Amino acid sequence: MTLVAPESPPRPSRPSPRRWFGRRRTIQVPDDALVVLRDVTKRYPNGKLALVDVDLVVPEGDFVFLVGPSGAGKSTIMRLLIRDELATRGQVIVDGRDVARLSRRQIPKVRRTIGIVFQDFKLLPSKTVYENVAFALEVTGTPRKRIRPTVDRVLALVGLTGVVDQYPRQLSGGEQQRTAIARALVHEPKLIIADEPTGNLDPLISWEIIQLLLRINELGVTVLMATHDADVVTSLRRRVVALEEGRIIRDEAGGTYHRED
Amino acid sequence: MIAFVAFSLRRAWLGFWRNAVMSIAATATMVLMLLLLAGFWIVQAGLLAGLEFVEQKVEIVADLHDDARQEDVDDLVVRVRAMPEVDRVTFVSREEALERFRAAREAQGQEDLTRYLETNPLHASIEVGLVDTRDFGLVSERLRGEAAVERVKNIKDLVDRVLTVTDFLRTSGTVVLLVIGFIVLFIIVNTIRLAVVARADEIEVMRLVGASDAFIRWPFVFEGAFMGLLGAVLALAVLGVAADPLNRFMFDFFRVLPIDVAPLARDLVLLVGGAGLGLGVLGSWISVRTYLIR
Repeated sequence: MTLVAPESPPRPSRPSPRRWFGRRRTIQVPDDALVVLRDVTKRYPNGKLALVDVDLVVPEGDFVFLVGPSGAGKSTIMRLLIRDELATRGQVIVDGRDVARLSRRQIPKVRRTIGIVFQDFKLLPSKTVYENVAFALEVTGTPRKRIRPTVDRVLALVGLTGVVDQYPRQLSGGEQQRTAIARALVHEPKLIIADEPTGNLDPLISWEIIQLLLRINELGVTVLMATHDADVVTSLRRRVVALEEGRIIRDEAGGTYHRED
Repeated sequence: MIAFVAFSLRRAWLGFWRNAVMSIAATATMVLMLLLLAGFWIVQAGLLAGLEFVEQKVEIVADLHDDARQEDVDDLVVRVRAMPEVDRVTFVSREEALERFRAAREAQGQEDLTRYLETNPLHASIEVGLVDTRDFGLVSERLRGEAAVERVKNIKDLVDRVLTVTDFLRTSGTVVLLVIGFIVLFIIVNTIRLAVVARADEIEVMRLVGASDAFIRWPFVFEGAFMGLLGAVLALAVLGVAADPLNRFMFDFFRVLPIDVAPLARDLVLLVGGAGLGLGVLGSWISVRTYLIR
């Protein structure tokens, strides 16, 4: 079924004068869309306009590259998805829920359906690989007897079985990023958000990480990856969403990093 | 629920020791601040007792007519004693007045001139101690209306001045204690905040992997409570060690003032323990809050 979404009525909490004269927009929202950004504008408190009228639909199981220069709005999109920030205008829907309408109690639960991977890994230096991954389960109240099998499984999936008792500083960059990916996977998320996951890695290791993300995608996890890595994007021919100054300037399946004229 | 508490306690314990330097610095600050608070509180308690003592010295002295009948005097004493403002009444007969006069002269090393007297020139009197010195004027006035009373010594100006001074000291003592309390509050809260900020990465990761607010907050709150209790215990230990020399040093002071040491010590334990625990919890609650609200 294809659903034509009507323009959502202005929310009373944030009246937007523009809406009264606004263009009527219709987006094709497939039933299996995991992420929907509808006419999203984000202005930070310091006045910086990070996103302007962004429409983006990501169906479940998709693999999307977000490309564009620094400051184009890639990270802002990711922050909106995990509801670290709220859109100034427009709607952000993740897994069928409008994130702006989530109660404080629901936010953590929705975040568990999203795994996040960063350029700087964000591992805790005082914990081993195993503990870093297990930490994500401990702090969400997972019963202890379920933690070990889950952690062992994801560590095997990312190929880190041999280094579980090492600390992050003892690992190579690629291994650290695998640990972070393992941590992102422990809640069996529907969506993996990777913010320049290969930014700190050399090309060979970058490829290993990309291969890993592709394999995870094949298991049915939707992947949204922001990157500057033109070679990777161009050679994989996946969907490419290009941002510039907060606007989507290109959205094509099987795209390349640079525009093909 | 039990699992959650166990988890929080375990994380609090680990958190304390994994960031030992920060935790110990925070605990040390806690100890010093609690000692400061306790010190000023002791001084305040001493000050209040001293002022109380001074005010208790104020008595209304009413001289009685020499020809007043004993029944009337007894009656007067009973009625004055029944007044709610009155704490105690002492009847001083003429002979006792003379005795006292002689004793005072002798204490001053001066010659007793009264033996040259043929009659006792002193009046009998009643000395009235008040519950609240502020009722001095009121009770004096009532005594002046009594038939057996010849005159009431008018020391109202002096009493007022004493009251002005004691009120001022009492108020400033309380203000100083409050200011010290606020300083202690801010320093402790800020120190704990530093300890929490040092672990911002950890909180960030917890948020990102979908930890609920309770799972982020409570380990820190328990850790703050632990720091507070540890700080309080250490501060009380220091006070306990210092108590003996301090007592010797202040022996004269305590001998003069009717301070009861046992309830003072009990209050001190409650104050230090309560302040340590409360400030520890409050400090971590406020510090973690910054990371939760977005």
